[in-house]
Formats: sequence, structure tokens, C-alpha cells
Amino acid sequence: MRLIIATAMLMLTASSALGNALISPGPRAGIAKSRLSATPDGEWNRLSRKDGKNVELWTLDGDSLNKVSFFGGVPVGEPLLREIDKKNRPLPRVTANMLITDIPALLETTYRSQFSVNQMEIADQEPALLAGNKGIRFTYAFTRADDEVQRKGEGIGAMVNGQLYLVIYEAPKLYYFDKDVDKFRKLAATLKL
Amino acid sequence: MRINNFARACLLALACCMSATVIGQEKTGNKEGFALKPGTVKIILMRPVIGVGEQSTGGLYEPNADWTTQARGHLGTALSEAQTQLGNQVMPYEESAGAEGPLVTQYSQLFNAVADSVIEYQFFPGNRLPTKKRDKGFEWAVGPGIAELKSLEGADYALFISTHDEYGSTGRKMLQIVGMLGGIGVTSGVHQGYAGLVDLKTGELVWLNADRQMGGDVRTPEGAQKRVRQLLEGFPGKPVALTTAQP
Amino acid sequence: MAFVLLAELAFSRPAVAKDDFTLAPYVAAYEPSTVDERGVWMLADEGERQLRDSPLRIRVGGLETYLRNVLCKEVGNDRCAGIRIYAVEVPTFNASMMPNGAMQVHSGLLLRARNEAELAAVLGHEFAHFELRHSLYGFKNRRGATDAMAWLTVLGGISNTPVADTNFSLLGSIYQFNRAQETEADLLGLKYLAQSGYPAQSASEVWQALMAEADASALGRKQKVKAKYSAGFFDTHPASLARAYYLATEAGKLPPGGDARAKEYNDAIAPYISRFLAAQMKLNDFGGSEYILSNIAERSGWTGDLLFARGELYRARANPRDLQQASEFYRQAKLAGYAAPELDRNLGLSLLRNGQSDEARIALSAYLAARPDASDAKAITALLAN
Repeated sequence: MRLIIATAMLMLTASSALGNALISPGPRAGIAKSRLSATPDGEWNRLSRKDGKNVELWTLDGDSLNKVSFFGGVPVGEPLLREIDKKNRPLPRVTANMLITDIPALLETTYRSQFSVNQMEIADQEPALLAGNKGIRFTYAFTRADDEVQRKGEGIGAMVNGQLYLVIYEAPKLYYFDKDVDKFRKLAATLKL
Repeated sequence: MRINNFARACLLALACCMSATVIGQEKTGNKEGFALKPGTVKIILMRPVIGVGEQSTGGLYEPNADWTTQARGHLGTALSEAQTQLGNQVMPYEESAGAEGPLVTQYSQLFNAVADSVIEYQFFPGNRLPTKKRDKGFEWAVGPGIAELKSLEGADYALFISTHDEYGSTGRKMLQIVGMLGGIGVTSGVHQGYAGLVDLKTGELVWLNADRQMGGDVRTPEGAQKRVRQLLEGFPGKPVALTTAQP
Repeated sequence: MAFVLLAELAFSRPAVAKDDFTLAPYVAAYEPSTVDERGVWMLADEGERQLRDSPLRIRVGGLETYLRNVLCKEVGNDRCAGIRIYAVEVPTFNASMMPNGAMQVHSGLLLRARNEAELAAVLGHEFAHFELRHSLYGFKNRRGATDAMAWLTVLGGISNTPVADTNFSLLGSIYQFNRAQETEADLLGLKYLAQSGYPAQSASEVWQALMAEADASALGRKQKVKAKYSAGFFDTHPASLARAYYLATEAGKLPPGGDARAKEYNDAIAPYISRFLAAQMKLNDFGGSEYILSNIAERSGWTGDLLFARGELYRARANPRDLQQASEFYRQAKLAGYAAPELDRNLGLSLLRNGQSDEARIALSAYLAARPDASDAKAITALLAN
């Protein structure tokens, strides 16, 4: 019910073109209106919903069941997502001197503010290349206050020319995360800048 | 379907402002080829989410315990009748004192998320996912882990039922009339429900029926029977026929 | 405290009959009688079930037992019999009670109460709403407001702005009360305080601290400080400044003294405090978090946990001088006894981000030596390699 209402509210407030798009297998450029591109080998759905200036969302079964978020070149001084309540819940911003370990930390602080996430843990963190740039791969777990479903996440991010590129995959811990994580990893391996 | 009061108020507030175009509000989906032979399975009825109350002028949901208790009783009876006519055994979920409570709750939350996704992204026009649009079957699940829950042992399927009714108060009905005269659509009353069947061996959602405009006054035995018939419409197996003749 | 502003506030002091603080005998565990009351009660049962099984519930240790003991000391055994208390990991200052006798206490409250008396004052206040059977009437009042809005919408074409909400604040806000009810609950709460053995000024002090925190938070965000605290700060609560004032005045009529039990409170919260602090520091509220830390430090001194948390706060904000400051706090935390190797890691990260590579290397290496299998060991090693 939450999902239906949230979608309906966003449909009213955001004057975006309605209709979710089909992502067919093959190269896809300009993801999140940025230099980011990927080459899925299966079908995905791109949501018409815009969570922020530099965000694009893909899903297989619906974003509460499996969701890939592309953050394409968030500049210094900007938050990851569009702030819901700028005054009382301002979001942390990308900074120029961020270390790779500050990338998952930024995601966590963003979620705790924006979505009332009260439990979140960053688990594994290891160096990784995002389209040839030195960055970080990390895994995490969290629960959002609105549906109380426990979720797991995995992501890869890097600072490139002073902008943050981040691609994350989130799904419920029960069944869904494991079901589709390989599809995400394959997709992430094709990321190009 | 957990109905969140504030969320409901929001949705209805929106309905207040948008012209209500109501198209195709009932839909059923099931796993391809799934069928149920009567008398062969045990079904656990998970604690039904039943909310009955009034809808105030402002669209606020006012729970009414008398009505909810009546509804729970009548729906329970109607459900057992409907199922006994299929010859399948329906047992209500027993909350054990053991440690499984939180995990069962997690499965219920997950079921809600899945059902919401089916309804949002497959069933009704407006926000469909292209990969689901082409009705390429019905592949939804809560996962095989559910087979390990001890409190569901001995059952073959779990039936999740959710109904929510808000009977428009006088104020709300007045608002509706005034609105109509002024060309603004105001919905009065909310009668929604869904019923879903999960295969407890595989965790697959084998059947889901969603209806955003349900009939039957659940506060009465006859109305509850009609509601159950609608909720279980298209239930895999024999069609549900109840003794009282109803449209 | 700007009490002089009270004159400007259009807030009428509530009348307390003859300064009488005696508690009436308690009508135990009432059954809802009217149709409306039963409706709200039923919704609460489902709510309690969710609460009981929630992943946010703090089940470890004796926290819920401690909270119950505090409630019983505050309101007396007659009143607290049959009440269930649930502690949940939510970083907001809140405690609320459902009409069926289930109380939830947020970890944010536990971080902000400066002693047991302040905690008791808040729990007592919530219990007062329950004793006065406010939830039902609050509900009715809210319906009145939304009715009016609905008519305006139809007749005037104003669009409603939807408000997103979360489950936990929903469970509290279904039972939101209007200002008159808040005042009633405050005054009944004072009666509890009077017989509890806690200092009666605690109720007023809680609000003063909250206002100060809000100011600190605003300053930290470069927003205007609310010097006046007129309505809007807490929507349905009486203007907080006026509230602190009248609570102080009424409490002044009670005998002074009483034991605030700061030490007992400190001991009870100690097993949980670093967890609660970690969550608070991640909320992007620099000013408010600093204020909370300094309050706790007044009670317990600057412990290793507090200094570490302060380091986290500054490192997260990472303004030009913050990183230097953060490193200093980590060092002080170590001296104060903070022993976990994670401190070395965070110190190292702070130094590295500040361009102090050599010192960073030492700290990060110390972390890796102590935690070679840490989940972030590979990432830290990569940082060292650069």
C-alpha cells in the first residue's frame, strides 16, 4: 500500500513523463544523464521516477524487491538524492577530499536522514575499479522504517574528476538479494565512463 | 496489505483533487499451470489484516472495533465455509511462544512488499513494468526459506488475506455530492482487498487476487460471504459457490 | 532563559486548583466502553504486535526492565501494573503510549535525558495521557481539523500536501494530542513527580534542554534560532518556552530536593550508549549532536566513548579545521581509555583526509595489525598503498 501511495504522490509532485521504460540487452549510454554506460545482457525496467538530479533506477520485479540505483557524477557540494525536507533533514554532500571509505559512509548518512533508516551496517569494503578508476566495492544491510523489510545491498563507487559515481543494488534479505545479485554483478562489470 | 492511516489519508486527499477515473479495478494472477485438487492440501490462514471503520469527511480512517470484530468473525466463518466446500482444510495461524515471531513477521512484511509490487507494477495500468506488462506469466515469490518455518509445518499453503473498508460517513457523502456538482471527483468509501496463496514448499506466490472496489458489507454474514467470494475469485480449484444466492 | 518573552505569547496559564498535587486513586486497567474507544484500542493491539516483533526492539540486557522500574517509581505500582514497555532503536526524542497500555521508548530519548528524573518525567507525561484517556479525544479533534480542510479543498480548490510518514512515528502520532491535552498531561505528570521522590523541576528542565538542542541544531545548520518558540516548534504541544516556564512555576510550589539519580541512570544506559551515540552522529546534525555530547559529559565527564563520538562527528562534517579537531579527539579518547582498534582506523582516516600521510600510515597500520581480518581490511590496505 505504501508503494502505491508513494508512487501516486510522486506522480503528482514530479511532472516527469509517465511510464517505465524497457531496457533491452545491449549497450546503453547516458545513464543518469551522465557519462555512465552499461551493457545488460538481459532485460531490465527503468523507472520513470526521479529520486534526484543524478539518479536513475532500474528494477526487475519492482524497486522494493530488487533495485539498481545509478548515481551519475554527483558534483562536490551536492547530496546524493533530492532532499525531502531541506530544513529539518538536510542531506550530507559530496566533498572533494573524500576517501574511498567515505563513499559508503555518505550513503549511510543519507539513508539515516532521508528514509529514517535506524539500523544500517556497512559490512565488507575492498578496493575495486569502476570503469578503470580506483574506487571501492562494499556490501551493507539496512531496514527502512516505512516497510520494515530487512534489506541487503552491494555497491561500487569512485570519485572521478571531482564527481562521485556510484552504482548500488538493494533487495530484501529474504530470497530476493541472493536471487538477483549475480545479474547485478554482471551488469556492474560492464560499467564504462 | 498494511493500511497506514496517514498514507491512506494522503491517498484519499489526492483522490479528492484528481478526477476519479476508475478503470478495471479487479485483477487475478496465478502461476501458470497451477491448479489445486480439492481435499488434497492443508492451508494455513495467516492472521487476516482486517480493517473496518468509517471514512470521515476529510478522508481520515476511523477504526471501528465493533465492526472489525464482527467482520473478523463473519469473514472467518465465510472463509472456512468456502474452503470446506472445496474439501481443503484451513487452519488459522497459531502464534507460538517460540522465537519465530520476528521471522514470521519478516515473511509477512515481505509478502506485503511482493503483493504491492504485483498490484503496482503488473496488475493495473499506470505504472506497469514493461517486463511484466506483456503478461509473460506470473512469477512472484517470497522464497523457499519459508519452508523452514516450524510454525507453518504440516501445511502446504499459506493464505494471506487483507481487506480494508471505510464506510463513508455522512459528511463524506455530503462532500461527494457537493463535489460532483462542482465537477470535482470525491470518492466516498474505500473497499479494497487482496488474497494471496503461497506454496509453503517453494515460497512461490501461486495466486493473487486484488480488488480495489470490493462489494459486500463485511459487517454482516451475507456481506462477508460475498466479500469472501470476491476475495477468492479465481482461486485455483473449484469455483467458490456459497449457499446464499448473490450477484 | 528569556522568560520575558512570555508576555508576548498568547498562551494562557492553566489553572491548578489550590496548588493541589495529591493523586487520585487509580481506576485500574479500564476496558474501553464506547464504540469509539474500542476502535482505537483495536488498532493498538495490532500495533503492539508489530512492536513486540520489530527488528528495532532492544531486547538485550535489562533495558526494558530498567525502564519499567523507572515508570513504576514515577507513577506508583498501582498504575504501572499491566503496562508493557518496549525499547526501540529510533534516534528521536520520543516516548508514547497506546490506549491498550503498551508504551514505546525511543533510544533518542535515552540519549537526551540527563538523569533518571528527566526520563521519569517524560514517561510519566506519556502515562498521564493514558490515564486521562486522551488518545480517543485527540483522534476526534484531529478529525475535526481534516473535515474543515476537505471542505476547503472542494469549495476552494486548494490542494492538500501529502505528508510522508514512517511506521514508528505513525504509531505515536495516531494518538497525537492537542495543546489543552498536553497541558492536562503535564499537570498530572507533576502530581506523579510530587510523590515519586524525583526533583519536581525535572519536567521543566527536559523542555529547556530540548529547546537548547533545537537552537544548537539550527545554529549548526546556519538557520535562524527560534528565540520565541511560538507554536510550530512542536505542532500540537504548548509553546515549549511557555511550557518550561509554567512547569517550573508549578514545580516551585512543591517541596524542593529529591534525588535525580544521575549516577543510576548513567550505569543503566552505559551498555547501550556507544551504540546510541554512533547512530546520532550519523544524522548529519552537527549542532544538536554536539549539544547532546556536552550534556552527557556534564554527567559523566568526557569519557573515551564520548570523545570518540566527538571525533566521529567532526570527521563526518570534515570542514577545513574539523579533521584536525577530530584527530585530536580520537587521541584524547585513547588517553581516556577507549581501547578498540577502530579508533586507530578512524584516526588514520582523519589524518589521511587532512593530508597528513605519514601519521596516517602509523595509525592505519596499527588498526590492520590488530584486526587483520576486518571486513574493511582490504580497503584500508589499499589506502595505505597509495
